[in-house]
Amino acid sequence: MNPVEICYLGVGELSRLIQRKEVSPVEIVEAHMARITSLEPKLNSFITLLSDQALADAREAEKEILENRYLGPLHGIPFGLKDLFYVKGVRNTSGMKIFDRFVPDFDSTVGLRLKRAGAVLMGKLNLHPLAYGATGENPDYGNMHNPWNLGLITGGSSGGSGSAVASGQCTLSMGTDTGGSIRIPSALCGIVGLKPTYGRVSRYGLAPLAWSLDHPGPMARTVEDCALLMNATAGFDPRDPTSVNVSTPDFTKALTGKVRGLRAGVPKEYFEVPIDPAVKKKVLKAIDHLRELGVSVSEVSWPMYRHSVAAANTIQIVEAAAYHSKLIRTHGSSLDPTIRLRLESGFFIPAVDYIQAQRVRTLFADQTLSLFKKVDLLVGPTLPVTAFKIGTTEKEVAGNVVNIIPLLTQYTRSFNLNGFPAITLPCGFSEDSLPIGLQIAGRPFDEATVLRAAHAYEQSTEWHRRRPPL
Amino acid sequence: MEEKIWFSKQIFLKMSEAYGLDPRDPHMEELYAYLQNVLPGLKVLEKLDVADVEPRVPLHPVQEESL
Repeated sequence: MNPVEICYLGVGELSRLIQRKEVSPVEIVEAHMARITSLEPKLNSFITLLSDQALADAREAEKEILENRYLGPLHGIPFGLKDLFYVKGVRNTSGMKIFDRFVPDFDSTVGLRLKRAGAVLMGKLNLHPLAYGATGENPDYGNMHNPWNLGLITGGSSGGSGSAVASGQCTLSMGTDTGGSIRIPSALCGIVGLKPTYGRVSRYGLAPLAWSLDHPGPMARTVEDCALLMNATAGFDPRDPTSVNVSTPDFTKALTGKVRGLRAGVPKEYFEVPIDPAVKKKVLKAIDHLRELGVSVSEVSWPMYRHSVAAANTIQIVEAAAYHSKLIRTHGSSLDPTIRLRLESGFFIPAVDYIQAQRVRTLFADQTLSLFKKVDLLVGPTLPVTAFKIGTTEKEVAGNVVNIIPLLTQYTRSFNLNGFPAITLPCGFSEDSLPIGLQIAGRPFDEATVLRAAHAYEQSTEWHRRRPPL
Repeated sequence: MEEKIWFSKQIFLKMSEAYGLDPRDPHMEELYAYLQNVLPGLKVLEKLDVADVEPRVPLHPVQEESL
């Protein structure tokens, strides 16, 4: 099999080939290493490559499989971790040179669970510094580049995860999402990204940005692969105080293709904020497609959505400043100027305002829960725009000039505030061949229904089969 | 510069010093301008009626049983 073809196979296909001993984990890892070597000068997806260790792990996986000690569908599958997930003995930079020599002496729960599932870690992936940004620009380790057009942003903060998966450098990756950092790069790079319910996937061993908004989650080329990553990583972890002890289903069992009877709401407020008309058209077409599949779609009103962004911003700014206060004081002048300003601003928000934002958070979560008495899903755009040029700070959208940070997070941040699960998947391409994402959100701990709807849509369209022109 | 936030430049510099920042750093001008842009946008929350609403415990996830 052509090595590039191997790099674009999903976990299901790869694991079937591995079990039939038609392709070995070593061949799979070598194919991905070659892909990384050829594309890395263009994409800059990785901060740390673990080539030798990955090959050693692949050989071990091959040996185990030949000895009939098969661990499951992730055994021998290449993956990457955003460089925020601690891996014992591997430097963790959080995207900043200041941390170049920080080597954790323990594994994150996510990293450990994937290791135990037999997946092969290819390296640590590039990110917006400290995960504090939505574009995937990094002055310390270099900007990430969108595989669909190398002059454009990947989105962030998990930009390296987005470009690596979209380009076939890894089959799977794990990102983190505080205001949209899984869903934004997934949408802009044309892949699937799931922000699970807060408390579903452990944050243990993850460098925080804002404790109460940070969500680790899967990024992959298909919904099925995201479900398989959820099977491996979700579940109660006593080492994370926010981990919730609820049952963990087999998420792949939700992928039935049956969505008839599901009720989806489209918040009317989504179209009262700036959105590129071409993106809006594609998203509305995708929603019509869901209707054709049997989903009952209706317009809903979600008035608190308008205030959710201010509440989430307040909480994020304060929590990030609290966590990084020592860094601000000791290395302020070494920080990227934009990140420095964002971090320092947290010192000037009174505790009263932080508490007020938490009270608004209660109202917002309650209102969203009420909405979910009438619908099973909320659907809409993941982003109001497609990828744009690296270095852009403002963008004109539908006659409004908007700062790109609020623009990129306007549909994603709300689900960090209420903690509800939300997925993005490709739902079309712009005239200049850039991917557009559809966001589907669900009730707390009901990732299964979100994955079911996303999978039914994906399998009845061809968008996930397109490959970037690399 | 017109002040759009609740504290004056002088108070800002005093607060900066108290928080461990260097008030003599030329960067403080940029930070002050940044705060003028960012903080007013967050104040919209004050207008919301949150009487009898308790803050969400920051690290307490929403549970499905609460549906």
